[in-house]
Amino acid sequence: MLAPMMRLAVAGKGGVGKSVVSATLARLLARRGHKVLVLDSDTLPGLTISLGVDPPEQPPLLDAVEKNDKGRWRLRKGIGPVRAIQRYSTPAPDGVRLLQLGKLSREGSAPLFAATNAYYQIVHRISHDERTGRASSLQDWVLLGDLPAGARQVAYDWAPYAERFLLVVEPTSQSMMTARRIARLVTGMRADADIALVVNKARSAAEAEKVATFLEREPLAVVPFDHAVRLAEREGAALIDHAPACEAVAAIGRLADRLEADSLVT
Amino acid sequence: MKIVVAGKGGVGKTTVSGTVSRALAQAGHRVLALDADTNPMLGVSLGLGPEQTDLLVAVREGLKTGETEHERTTEGFVERFGRDAPDGVRLVVASRIDQPNPGCSCCGVSAEQLLGEVEGGDGQIVVGDLEAGIGTVLRLQEGQADVIVVVAQPTAKSLEVARRALELAPERAPRVIVVANRVRDDEDLAVIHAALGEDHEYVIVPDDEAIAEADREGRAAIDVDPDSAGVRALIDLADRLAGIAAPA
Repeated sequence: MLAPMMRLAVAGKGGVGKSVVSATLARLLARRGHKVLVLDSDTLPGLTISLGVDPPEQPPLLDAVEKNDKGRWRLRKGIGPVRAIQRYSTPAPDGVRLLQLGKLSREGSAPLFAATNAYYQIVHRISHDERTGRASSLQDWVLLGDLPAGARQVAYDWAPYAERFLLVVEPTSQSMMTARRIARLVTGMRADADIALVVNKARSAAEAEKVATFLEREPLAVVPFDHAVRLAEREGAALIDHAPACEAVAAIGRLADRLEADSLVT
Repeated sequence: MKIVVAGKGGVGKTTVSGTVSRALAQAGHRVLALDADTNPMLGVSLGLGPEQTDLLVAVREGLKTGETEHERTTEGFVERFGRDAPDGVRLVVASRIDQPNPGCSCCGVSAEQLLGEVEGGDGQIVVGDLEAGIGTVLRLQEGQADVIVVVAQPTAKSLEVARRALELAPERAPRVIVVANRVRDDEDLAVIHAALGEDHEYVIVPDDEAIAEADREGRAAIDVDPDSAGVRALIDLADRLAGIAAPA
């Protein structure tokens, strides 16, 4: 019986492949029998496309909050993190559940304010419960957060549940610099969090080596450059549906192996 | 004149901003390149190199530790958080990694405000490299930009971001240009036209090995090969933009 304590957040520069890696990893883990909750705090629809779901028109979490007597948005009475996830997460293929903050519309961020509060409170309550050892029915779930591009949400503690940050890096200078900035932020804020490197779009062993040397870490996984990803991205299709046998999916499968193995050791 | 560059993360906003800035400067214009991304990288695409770019960011971070004094005037901001890049482009890093919004909220300076206050007259051209997504475009007010350049590539995600940006842009700037980036074949272009429509003013930038090499090595594309097809397309964009503003 597997009892994974996988608490992951995926971060990196825009366009490096965070959502493709996150979504493919989530679906592979779900197919292996894990309960997987994907946490989507990006207000742009990247992850939903890679998972193969349509984002809802309205953020489901709008129904999870109410204003308290001080005028602040709070989770409604009786709604803890577990119930909020049961009620307001949406189904994705392979049995993955998706908890979304919500998507930006032309009205701007104001309509998202309540949902943003709900999301932030839920992820913080999950991690608070787990750190204080409170029994949580999420403990046999894999939590996998896909953070928006850049370092901002890391700096603002949007993934407090994460025990391990997966830095997705392609062999470009700006992507490596971004990963180094994020790694420094994580190290400064969360001494207990692990940082793991996933090299993406590597055209050669030398390119993977270059990234590893720059970031002074051995990669947990190296995903090769794969034209199948380019074509899936052009179509707006989930990679695992579009090209299930491609090299990139196989490499993300090996990443899943490593994560499973690590979670069993602890 | 003020030009802002928007789009999804990774579509090439910074390459467009950096190359256009350098091309404008080479043509004799005075250029202020404003890095309004909370993950500032414009220095790399201007040709300052990764180390110098990170050093500039560190100056902004110095505010947090009190090593750097706050700067409440726009002129002071440009002076303190700027430096000269190749061809005489003045680069200003407007954002901090550890701040929630582009700009410097502790100095009371937002990216939009800086765009509003920096002088785009006197022949100076301001090129603003915005944060990934549509947040800054949403907040732009009339008069803060003369041209919004929306960068897209042939992926569904970047086209979705571009589509949203294009819904907002016409109310916020008199001229909107779409850069179709990394176009490899007719199918790529067809995907872009199908998503965004054909009625926009388009600049088509072919997928380009010189730009890819610049990305890998942390150099300015215009230094790697000014004659490559992709770089030439961006120099043409600069020429088109300069058609509005006479050199100083």
